[in-house]
Amino acid sequence: MKKYWAIFSTQIVNSLAYPGDFLGRSVSIVIFMLIFAGLWRATFAAAGTESINGLTFPNMLWYLLMCEVIELGRPRVNRVISEQVKSGEVAYLLSKPYNFLVYHFFHGLGDGGVRAVLNLLVGIPAVWLLVGPLPTLIGWGMAVTLAFGAWILHFCMMSLIGLLAFLVEETNSFELIYQKAVFILGGMLLPLDMFPGWLQPITKSLPFAYMMYAPARLFVKPDPTLFWQFLSVQWIWIVMLIFLLGLAYRSSVRSLAVNGG
Amino acid sequence: MKRHLQLLAALWKANLQSAMEYRAAFLTQVVFMMLNNLAYFMFWVLYFNKFNAVRGWNLQDMMLLFGIAATAWGIAAYFFGNFTTLSEIITLGRLDYYLSLPRPVLLHTLASRSLGSGMGDLIYGLGSYILSGYLTPDGFLRYLLGVTVAVSIFLSFLTLVQSLSFWMGNTTAISQLALNALLTFSLYPGSLFEGAAKFILLTIIPASLIGSLPAEFVKSFSWGALLQLLVSAVLLMLFSVWVFYRGLKRYESGSSMQVEI
Repeated sequence: MKKYWAIFSTQIVNSLAYPGDFLGRSVSIVIFMLIFAGLWRATFAAAGTESINGLTFPNMLWYLLMCEVIELGRPRVNRVISEQVKSGEVAYLLSKPYNFLVYHFFHGLGDGGVRAVLNLLVGIPAVWLLVGPLPTLIGWGMAVTLAFGAWILHFCMMSLIGLLAFLVEETNSFELIYQKAVFILGGMLLPLDMFPGWLQPITKSLPFAYMMYAPARLFVKPDPTLFWQFLSVQWIWIVMLIFLLGLAYRSSVRSLAVNGG
Repeated sequence: MKRHLQLLAALWKANLQSAMEYRAAFLTQVVFMMLNNLAYFMFWVLYFNKFNAVRGWNLQDMMLLFGIAATAWGIAAYFFGNFTTLSEIITLGRLDYYLSLPRPVLLHTLASRSLGSGMGDLIYGLGSYILSGYLTPDGFLRYLLGVTVAVSIFLSFLTLVQSLSFWMGNTTAISQLALNALLTFSLYPGSLFEGAAKFILLTIIPASLIGSLPAEFVKSFSWGALLQLLVSAVLLMLFSVWVFYRGLKRYESGSSMQVEI
């Protein structure tokens, strides 16, 4: 475990080596929040109501901030794995005294963690100025717990996409489609409560809801019953995806042909 | 002028031949980009299922806006694919190749690369416009004009921002931020933003000139909108070309060896 901790902490140091560049990238979150503020201010004004499906305008903006922080901090491990497979570097990495996937997990966690914190540092003042104070402390607790699970779900999915490089040359297209599935079915752009009634149970039975909607919803509307319900379904998905990732990894390694050195 | 068009025709032919060498990969990119756009647009389908309109914009209007923006992005990406990597080309000294040939440097650089996914955007954009219900003979002419203006704004704005590399060195982060801001804002109705934000979207980040203003122009002709679109596009293009060539005088490279394919 010590070596993985070293990988994790080294990546944090690496990420912080260029804080100006990192902070510059975090400005994106302000752009997104300004757009959302414009859209939802107009929507609430047109609806002539304080609350839509239980969410007020400030709730909506804090919900969207949490979604953006998760999205911008999600691991980009698919691109790294895909490149390593295509370049053949994977053969070299497999001979190292660590598990290939666990290495990427801690590497990505260091990078994603720094990005999430910086995005919060930039995003919180922006949203505070737009709609007022932060959600409650209990909301933070529930959101952070579920956001960690969401990050693991993302990691599994992104790794599976990266491993597709063993089968197809171009994997970026799969990432684009996956990203849009999370945007829509995960409730990132529109909370699932605002979906048509027939669609809500379908989306809540898919893993995407537990990558975005669950942490963001409980961030603004903490509810202990819902928290335990979301957490248990989220971890069922995590276990299933880890199992699937393990199978895909073993089958990929078996099919690996190394020529020369 | 004739020589410039001949150069473009030759470059586009070479790019097409290159794409056809990897036909399956090209078609995959096209199809996946269309699916990606469609998935992203599902947000508006769900949004307008819940709310009838926002500041006078309905689902058909958004299809029109997406139609114009996607077609314009597709044309820029497919025919002038280096418009997103100009900063990198300048920083890495890869302009040497273009400078050594008796052709206009900026035009040659931009058109030397083609992004296959751009064709997917182009086809999606055209389809989205046709399905929006605004397809009439004069409406189509206005659509073509709106797309031309939007292509020009995409190319000019990104050339302008990335030309800063001549003075500031690596501007990849700023360029990425500018691109994100331009793209994201252009996909929302301009009427959502008021005051200073509205002014910024027509000047510093000219996103309204890509999406909502051309869409308004397609919906109903007005001399004011026509003048605003044409003057903005021409001025921005002239300014970006001037800045690029000003910067080119400061260009330095380490005479790096490279192969342009």
